[in-house]
Amino acid sequence: MSSSINLTLKIWRQPHSDALGSLETYTLDHISTDMSFLEMLDVLNEKLTKEGKDPVAFDHDCREGICGMCGAIVDGVAHGPEKEVTLCQLHMRHFKSGDTLVIEPFRSRAFPIKKDLLIDRSALDRIIQSGGYVSVNTGGTPDGNSIPIPAKQAELAMDAAACIGCGACVASCPNGAAMLFTSAKISQLALLPQGQVEGKERALAMVAQMDSEGFGNCTNARECEAVCPKGISIRNIARLNREYLTAVLSEG
Amino acid sequence: MWFVRFVTSSIGKKLVMAATGLLLFLFLLTHAAGNATIFMSSAVFQDYADELHSHPLIVLVFSSALLAVLLVHIGVGLYLFYENRAVSNNRYVVSKRVVKNSLASATMPYTGLFVLLFLVIHIFGFTFSPKDVPISSTVRDMLSNFFYALFYITAFIALTFHLSHGLWSMLQTFGVNHPRYELFIARLSLVLPLFFFLIFGGIAFYFMTGLGANY
Repeated sequence: MSSSINLTLKIWRQPHSDALGSLETYTLDHISTDMSFLEMLDVLNEKLTKEGKDPVAFDHDCREGICGMCGAIVDGVAHGPEKEVTLCQLHMRHFKSGDTLVIEPFRSRAFPIKKDLLIDRSALDRIIQSGGYVSVNTGGTPDGNSIPIPAKQAELAMDAAACIGCGACVASCPNGAAMLFTSAKISQLALLPQGQVEGKERALAMVAQMDSEGFGNCTNARECEAVCPKGISIRNIARLNREYLTAVLSEG
Repeated sequence: MWFVRFVTSSIGKKLVMAATGLLLFLFLLTHAAGNATIFMSSAVFQDYADELHSHPLIVLVFSSALLAVLLVHIGVGLYLFYENRAVSNNRYVVSKRVVKNSLASATMPYTGLFVLLFLVIHIFGFTFSPKDVPISSTVRDMLSNFFYALFYITAFIALTFHLSHGLWSMLQTFGVNHPRYELFIARLSLVLPLFFFLIFGGIAFYFMTGLGANY
């Protein structure tokens, strides 16, 4: 049985990167509790368009929690109050009628705001570009069992590879650090024999790129892990620290 | 050069904080062990102090090294504090911390600075105390003052918070984080800071309450 709720929204509106932004208040009635958070924003935008106003710009793509495009800070928490979900998979049944929700974009010095809730996360892409890959000369398809990998190791690599790069970790870190993201991207390769060959260069290059993008320094506050929609563990950050230390002491 | 690249990188600065933190922690162990003699008697404590200071070179080399480590820990810590504040000050209209028990981690710079204030007062009170008064009397006279002792205990509470996040954080920075040791490390970062609180705070409490009047 579906029911509906009435909400007051306070949304960050900012016309473009260089403009000053502010919170605008909107009221939205008869929102079905079966809607996702982004569908609720769609309803708002339809209403704004009909009124001849500028709709709220927000990031979204797959809307099934796997692409990493969506995300906003809802009442101070990245991706809203539910654990291990992206904003698109957060449903309105978790809110009560009469709630006032404050919706702000993910903020970081390295994430410029393009418009409203839309941000530029290409800093994360540049960290990947600096070394988050394995260089191979492609040939025929290799035999699946030519390099045996223990199941546990493969699982750990898959856990790290679950990172969708949404940037919630950066947005929630009290210091704006990108350590959880970088550590996941390093761990998914460092845990597998194919990735270990370039492990040292990768650790040095990705950390250097991360630092140059203007992210903060990790102080082990654990906020990143708590809001990550994919449950990436800070155990990956410990692995990154180990990888970086070995690399810096022995590379070159 | 690799070393410059290392200490200027974000992880390098963390490792410097962790390594100097570990050395300061080890110093606390020796300091707690020495001071625990106070609970035996003033004579035992005076013997320990006299024995230690009968080797001036040991004291000089040890305290110079300690000062260097302390200055690096404070210097890099403050640098990180200001660097992080520049990135993240007042980012959101509504902000909320999700992690429970985040008090220790959120207050690290402040508890650290409070311990520094304590250190300055402590060193001027004891290290540079008048040479003609035996240290065992100085301890009793200073800490018998209720407010002076209360300030000491407050500083030790700050130290306990600082260490409880610091110990775990140090191990995480060194890359020690494994399900097998998780519970052990969690307990250790509670028990060890409390151990220091009991010894150091106990001494202040001992004189403050008059329990150590005839020590």
